[in-house]
Amino acid sequence: MSDILVVQNLSKSFSSGNKTLTVLDDISFSVEEGASVSIVGPSGSGKTTLLGLCAGLDVATSGTVSLVGMKLNALDEDDRAYVRNQHVGFIFQNFQLLPTLTALENVTVPLELRGEKGFKPKGEELLDRVGLGDRMQHYPSQLSGGEQQRVALARAFISSPKILFADEPTGNLDEDTAHHVTDILFNINKEEGTTLVLVTHNMELAENTERILQIRGGKLVADRKSLTAS
Amino acid sequence: MEYIIKIKKEKRNLLKDKWVWKMAYRDARKNFARLFLFISSVIIGIAAVVSINSFNANLQRSIDEQAKDLLGADLIVNANNPFEEELLAAFDSIQSQEQAEEANLASMAMFMTSTPGTRLIRIVALRGGFPFYGGIETSPGDAYNIMKSAPFVMVDENLASQYDVSSEDSVQLGGMVFQIAGEVSKIPGGGGIQSTFTPSVYISLDYLDSTNLVQYGSRVNYKRYFKFETEEQTEAAIEILKPIIRKYGHSYETVDGRKENLGEGFRNLYRFFNLLAFIALILGCIGVASSVHIYVREKRETVAVLRCIGASGWQSFNIFFIQTAFLGLLGSALGVSLGLAIQYLLPQLLSEFIPLNLNLQISWSAVIEGLILGVVISLLFSVLPLVSVRFVPPLTVLRTNFEPLKTVSKVRITVIILILLFPFLFAAYQSDSLIIGASFFAALLIAFTALATVAMLLMKTVRRFFPSGWSFVWRQSLANLFRPNNQTVVLVVVIGLGAFLMATLNIVQNSLLNQVEFIGEENQSNTILFDIQPGQKEGVVELTKENELPVQQLVPIITCRISSINGKSVSEIQNDTTDAIPNWAITREYRVTYRDSLHSAETLERGTLQHISNDSVYVTISAGMHENLQVDIGDTVVFDIQGVPVRTYISGVRDVEWPKDPPNFIFVFPQGVLEQAPQIFVLTTRIEGQSQANNYQRELVTLFPNVSLIDLRLVLSTIDEFFDKVSFVIQFMALFSIVTGLVVLAGAVMNSKYLRLKENVLLRTIGAMKKQIWGMTILEYGYLGFFAGLTGIGLSVLSGWALAVFFFEIIFLPDFVSLILIWLGIILLTIFVGWLNTRDVINRSPLEVLRKEG
Repeated sequence: MSDILVVQNLSKSFSSGNKTLTVLDDISFSVEEGASVSIVGPSGSGKTTLLGLCAGLDVATSGTVSLVGMKLNALDEDDRAYVRNQHVGFIFQNFQLLPTLTALENVTVPLELRGEKGFKPKGEELLDRVGLGDRMQHYPSQLSGGEQQRVALARAFISSPKILFADEPTGNLDEDTAHHVTDILFNINKEEGTTLVLVTHNMELAENTERILQIRGGKLVADRKSLTAS
Repeated sequence: MEYIIKIKKEKRNLLKDKWVWKMAYRDARKNFARLFLFISSVIIGIAAVVSINSFNANLQRSIDEQAKDLLGADLIVNANNPFEEELLAAFDSIQSQEQAEEANLASMAMFMTSTPGTRLIRIVALRGGFPFYGGIETSPGDAYNIMKSAPFVMVDENLASQYDVSSEDSVQLGGMVFQIAGEVSKIPGGGGIQSTFTPSVYISLDYLDSTNLVQYGSRVNYKRYFKFETEEQTEAAIEILKPIIRKYGHSYETVDGRKENLGEGFRNLYRFFNLLAFIALILGCIGVASSVHIYVREKRETVAVLRCIGASGWQSFNIFFIQTAFLGLLGSALGVSLGLAIQYLLPQLLSEFIPLNLNLQISWSAVIEGLILGVVISLLFSVLPLVSVRFVPPLTVLRTNFEPLKTVSKVRITVIILILLFPFLFAAYQSDSLIIGASFFAALLIAFTALATVAMLLMKTVRRFFPSGWSFVWRQSLANLFRPNNQTVVLVVVIGLGAFLMATLNIVQNSLLNQVEFIGEENQSNTILFDIQPGQKEGVVELTKENELPVQQLVPIITCRISSINGKSVSEIQNDTTDAIPNWAITREYRVTYRDSLHSAETLERGTLQHISNDSVYVTISAGMHENLQVDIGDTVVFDIQGVPVRTYISGVRDVEWPKDPPNFIFVFPQGVLEQAPQIFVLTTRIEGQSQANNYQRELVTLFPNVSLIDLRLVLSTIDEFFDKVSFVIQFMALFSIVTGLVVLAGAVMNSKYLRLKENVLLRTIGAMKKQIWGMTILEYGYLGFFAGLTGIGLSVLSGWALAVFFFEIIFLPDFVSLILIWLGIILLTIFVGWLNTRDVINRSPLEVLRKEG
């Protein structure tokens, strides 16, 4: 299998007054198409920054990120947005649904953005799959946290992305709901054959992926197979 | 690279990108209420402009249509003495279709009606077929015909209602009693504000002499009305009459001249309204920018999510651009409708001041202008905050507080330039003058800069001299003025501008009113008797004393004209094109007096008092008039006093406070020169009670019918009433600016609300009580209202002084009590708006907010 994500010598620094703060320092790794990878580390280790750079949400200070064969550094923000729309799905800790759209509209928005037609049945089917077939016309404010995250899952998969980035997807959920959402996430991921990059500090969740990258102080300190995979 | 080329090809423009239109609708359907401030700003700003523009268009059209009806003739010649033989011969020689005559003078009238009384009126004595145009409206309809043929009078309708006049009643004018034929509701040259001060009583010119009112010293105005068949005939007549009219210092008026005069008269009013519309619109623009700014701030997260799922910067921008464009159009349409509705109110407000029948129509040009202007301001002033949508980093979804580096884009720079140009271009377009446009712009810039500077100085001062010993609530609220994300500058500018406007209006009004309130002072005369003939002098003094009234002044008045100045005759001065002495100044009739001392309203500015020295007569002249006549100390002026030339020299210049203790004079002669000249007397007294005034007036009119009396208390109350009406109109129009100011204020407060939200919640979480949060909120807005109001009022004192001294040329007399009241009002209003906008922040559960913030 070919690599869908290639990270080479990636560094990210921020200037604060006269000082430079290095958040990520010379990180390199690659992810095969269809694989699932967790990025773990303590708070402030740089894992969310790494996810942002891999998904093209931010630009590195040095080094390169190749996503689905394209070097993100060479693209401007709008082109990176286009890449995200075509190939990438997201799940966030705070769900990040659009508050003015219904659950169904939230799910279908990526396809609409592509200019596709006939997306409604697909959206309905996905909402059914995450168990929200009866909440399609509800607005986010009318849904619980777990329900909102399930809508976000449906939205993430609707465009059949080649790669899915998830940032602490269960971080805002109680234990039972978190298990439920995790099950749905990994099931659909498996069925769709999507590459998954998951950021978490929850080792139990991380062990669900095939591979675990451990970050500490902005450096990649470990790259191992998960217990499940081995 | 292959991908990049493909990506570029995929870009869609605003019109073809259906998705952004759909998203614009979806996003707005639950959000329209959030753009209430935006749409309110557009509505009020546009309503102000449309109502004023449409009203002006209607006014201009009405002036054009009705100028002839208002004049009642094609040409009027005016004189303040009987027409000379030469002029009468010229009247007979010109080819006119019809002529009519009028003589009018101020006089006392004694109403013998169910509500009897005496008051000063203007007698208008008419002969001939006047009015030739426009018609006269009377009740009963034949009153005018009855009046023309018999000793009957018609009275202005306000007089009729004041004295409960009926057809059985009569009026004594001078020595003659007239029966009342009816009342006049409309006549060319009548009505308007003049009739409020001296209402008219109409008689036939045939009976004027019988009243014995026209005596030496009476100020009678004579008019001759002309009707011509063609405009050419009118022009030919003017050609013939003009040199003779000029020679004798008379004047004439044509239909075109009336149009110009009316237009000129309304120009200041229109300019003032324009200024208010300009301020309302600019405040509206600030409201638009500030509400979109708040809206975009709220939409940051939404935009970040859209960017994450692949929307481009321009697509995100377009979603909100479409919303603001649509709302701008909607706001403009509503603003235009409101503006048109208000223009129907304006004529009612202004009916006292407009001698026209305003035929109101929808001014389509004003409607189209309003629509275009509304869309332009909506887009122009929202683009700047909207542009920031393009630069919302998708990373915001992961890190809420992530702030990108400030991006300088061409669009942003272009928009800033256009925004700066807009006030100037709008003002120049409205006023049709680049200079006025520039001056409005400059005034706006000065006010904004002054207020912003004060706000910044305030922040520095508070920070530097921070009272660390104060209690937590007082310190925290005061610190809010300079802490990051403060709204001090915006709020001080907005509130200060409103305070500035209101206080300036108040100062000007007070200063104007104070000019006439001299009369109310202790021992000042409040009643003036004039036209007292020498033979009546003793009798009038005796009557006054019998009524236990003081004779404050008994002043002789002699009428005269100037024959020459420094050896140049009046006609030589008129013909000398290099001479800048205005014609009215050398041809007018002067009323002079003689005395050897200064009067209480006078001070000697330069030179010496009037005196006789070596048989030469030295007179003093009032300051200001010496500039008009271009004379100074030592210059020679020859007066024609009833045919006798009197050579005089200017010995000094007097500074005269004209409204104080009248009568006051331009020229004062020394004693020993004019005692034998024909003269009349003016007596001044002070009357305290109304019943005393009534008795005195009644006896005066019975014994001395030709003597007129001016009750300055009545004049004062009329002026007061007049100012009340004017200030009501001004305040109504200023309401536009004030309401827009409030909308902007609410916007600015809401802006700070989101910044304070988390902070207040955290304070509550760590144990602050609601009472303390309330205290901080009230104090913070209280401080802002306090300083903004103080700055605005401080600036208004400066502008009020400038307006009083340079524009109105009156004494600057602000009423500090009302200014303090305005200040307090502003503080309370600011606190109220602040409270209104933050109350839900305070009432919201801390957990709800903390959960949201993550």
